[in-house]
Amino acid sequence: MRWSPILRAAVVAGLTAALAACSGSSSGSGSSGGSSSGGIPTIEIGIDLPLNGADAAVGVPTKNGAILAVEQANAAGFAGGKFKLTTIILDDSVQGKHDPAAGAQNVKTLIADPAVLAMVGPYNSNVAKAEIPLTNDAALAQISPSNTNDKLTIGDAAKALRSSHPDTIAYFRVCTRDSRQGTALAQFAQRLGWKKIYVIDDNETYGKGLADVFDPAFRALGGTILGHDHITANQQDFKALLTKAKTLQPDAVFYGGDVSTGGALVRLQMADVGMAAVPYMGGDGIGTTEFLKVAGPMADHTYYSLAAPDAAKLPSATAFVAAYRKRFNADIGAYSANAYTAAMIEITAIGKAIKDDGGTTPTRAAVLSNVAATTGFASPIGTVGFDANGDTTAPILTLKQVVHGKPITVAQLTLKT
Amino acid sequence: MDVFLQQLINGISLGGIYALIALGYTMVYGIIELINFAHGDVYTLGTFFSLAILGLLGVTGVVTGPTLIVVVLVTIAGAMLLCGIVGVLIERLAYRRLRNAPRLAPLITAIGMSFILENLMQYWRGPSPIPFPDVVPNPAFVAGSVTIQAKQILVVLLAVVMMIALQAFVYNTRLGKAMRATAQDRDAAQLMGIDINTTIALTFLIGSALAGAAGFVSGVYYGSTWFFNGFAAGLKAFTAAVLGGIGNLAGAMLGGFLIGLIEALTTQFISDEWSNVVVFSVLVLVLIFRPAGLLGESLPNKV
Repeated sequence: MRWSPILRAAVVAGLTAALAACSGSSSGSGSSGGSSSGGIPTIEIGIDLPLNGADAAVGVPTKNGAILAVEQANAAGFAGGKFKLTTIILDDSVQGKHDPAAGAQNVKTLIADPAVLAMVGPYNSNVAKAEIPLTNDAALAQISPSNTNDKLTIGDAAKALRSSHPDTIAYFRVCTRDSRQGTALAQFAQRLGWKKIYVIDDNETYGKGLADVFDPAFRALGGTILGHDHITANQQDFKALLTKAKTLQPDAVFYGGDVSTGGALVRLQMADVGMAAVPYMGGDGIGTTEFLKVAGPMADHTYYSLAAPDAAKLPSATAFVAAYRKRFNADIGAYSANAYTAAMIEITAIGKAIKDDGGTTPTRAAVLSNVAATTGFASPIGTVGFDANGDTTAPILTLKQVVHGKPITVAQLTLKT
Repeated sequence: MDVFLQQLINGISLGGIYALIALGYTMVYGIIELINFAHGDVYTLGTFFSLAILGLLGVTGVVTGPTLIVVVLVTIAGAMLLCGIVGVLIERLAYRRLRNAPRLAPLITAIGMSFILENLMQYWRGPSPIPFPDVVPNPAFVAGSVTIQAKQILVVLLAVVMMIALQAFVYNTRLGKAMRATAQDRDAAQLMGIDINTTIALTFLIGSALAGAAGFVSGVYYGSTWFFNGFAAGLKAFTAAVLGGIGNLAGAMLGGFLIGLIEALTTQFISDEWSNVVVFSVLVLVLIFRPAGLLGESLPNKV
């Protein structure tokens, strides 16, 4: 095959760009650790979140929360002005969807950069599953604003993730676990007077995990689960599934999953099979503005939980909400305050390590042990600390209901640990 | 029994959408033996174009009476035309130069084309699912406990009409004859004075226009779209085309309906997560016993 001049030019241009990108990143990270901008050494905080695709709607406001924390710390003269904090922002979505392999690659990039002392992320539980072994191995403190899957912190599955350093907990989260979220949802369903529920999940780590907790919890409360189906990736048509559910006459349909895996489409198609008046319930995965937009008028009668407090309603978050609005000219996302808190904890831990070390660049291990020791930390989302597994000691859950296209807070629960 | 009938209706309407996409797949394969992986994305592009046209017309909700007919005709014609143009451009830019290259080259190019279209759509309308306005009034016809929605009838009707029109075009017109000749033997057709470049471009025009029509109907049918929809739908439609006998128009149609039915019935009687497994198992079985597909013939009777 003969190569046209245009094709040849394109290939050359592509190679040049790739080379430029490589050399650019190596010069950026190679000299760090002691790297300096204007004479002040730089400490980096990594951020790994889904920033394009259907998850970007929640990923971007989450990222902004972490950025705000770093900017505020710099403005307030971090470590007496001896160090400057920066963020390294990496995107773990591929083809518009969060991707565990991309997340793992991003974490490797962060670990390879000696100036990175802590990271915020990821957003999705299945991405966390791929990342935890890496941060555990490198003893890099990692705080997720939003992962809720149980198996990331407790049980044998979590131990397997930490197998390279079983005694090191490097992964923390400021939100609550699915077992708590699922249980709370089951109690809530019972309180609404529902007796028979049809359960659908998206077969992903988060969605199936949530549904697998909700299902037995609701049975334990005396309810009936009429059926539990798993949908497949990129499925667009749910009419057959919903027709099957309809014949069993459920009081509600429960969906474990995200909007990107079908959360809004399932609700939308409930109208097509004559289930418009049947309530719909899910976890934080459907608690997004995107859900409201796609489901449109059908969003009404939807109930969902957020594994975070409703920051807009917390007195402790007033200052954060105002600062966020001023900086980004937008309202906070469901996990902005969580990401802000995660970054704050890390910044405080780094600051303490600098102080303990007499003003030198601290080690990752020192930062990690400070993060792990976090307790009674005052944040927009309340007083936060971590238990021995890396879970938050103050799990707060919000329950929302969509009324006339707008989510209203129905209840706010602080769960017992 | 009622559930069974209801699921038949669900399956046939889903199959109608697969069939519309499969027609384009099978046409392109028939004429240049290329599996045009970008075809599923052209279908999604059809939904995006329809959305844009509806936006220009200022339609945001149900329209009725003569306006409805005008709106539907303008939107569907616009989406078909724009998708047709995109199809011709794809062929001209990405496939024509590779026509005599080894088989793998255009196949990889087709996959690349698919990525390009997906990312262009993501750039255009964002990465999130997009709501599609309820343009067509959707009365439900109830017979016993079985319900048929107007939009389900629309899908099936459109698929059947398009298939018949296409069949008539391919077998009863000069251009259709040129297409069949090009499919049978490209070089001989050229020697006989057929402009094969135009003929192949025409095939892409028609196939992509059909995808455009399918795109509009799917927007109406599902009330939403997403830049990535074409991937899964394209794969199913390709399966439909192979199941029916690739290169055979009636086969594509039959394959589409069969796959829709298998999916719906598997969901009802086994479970949703097994529907893909059953669909592809049926495909494997059919190919073992009838390698050319259900309606395929071993002699080239393509396009």
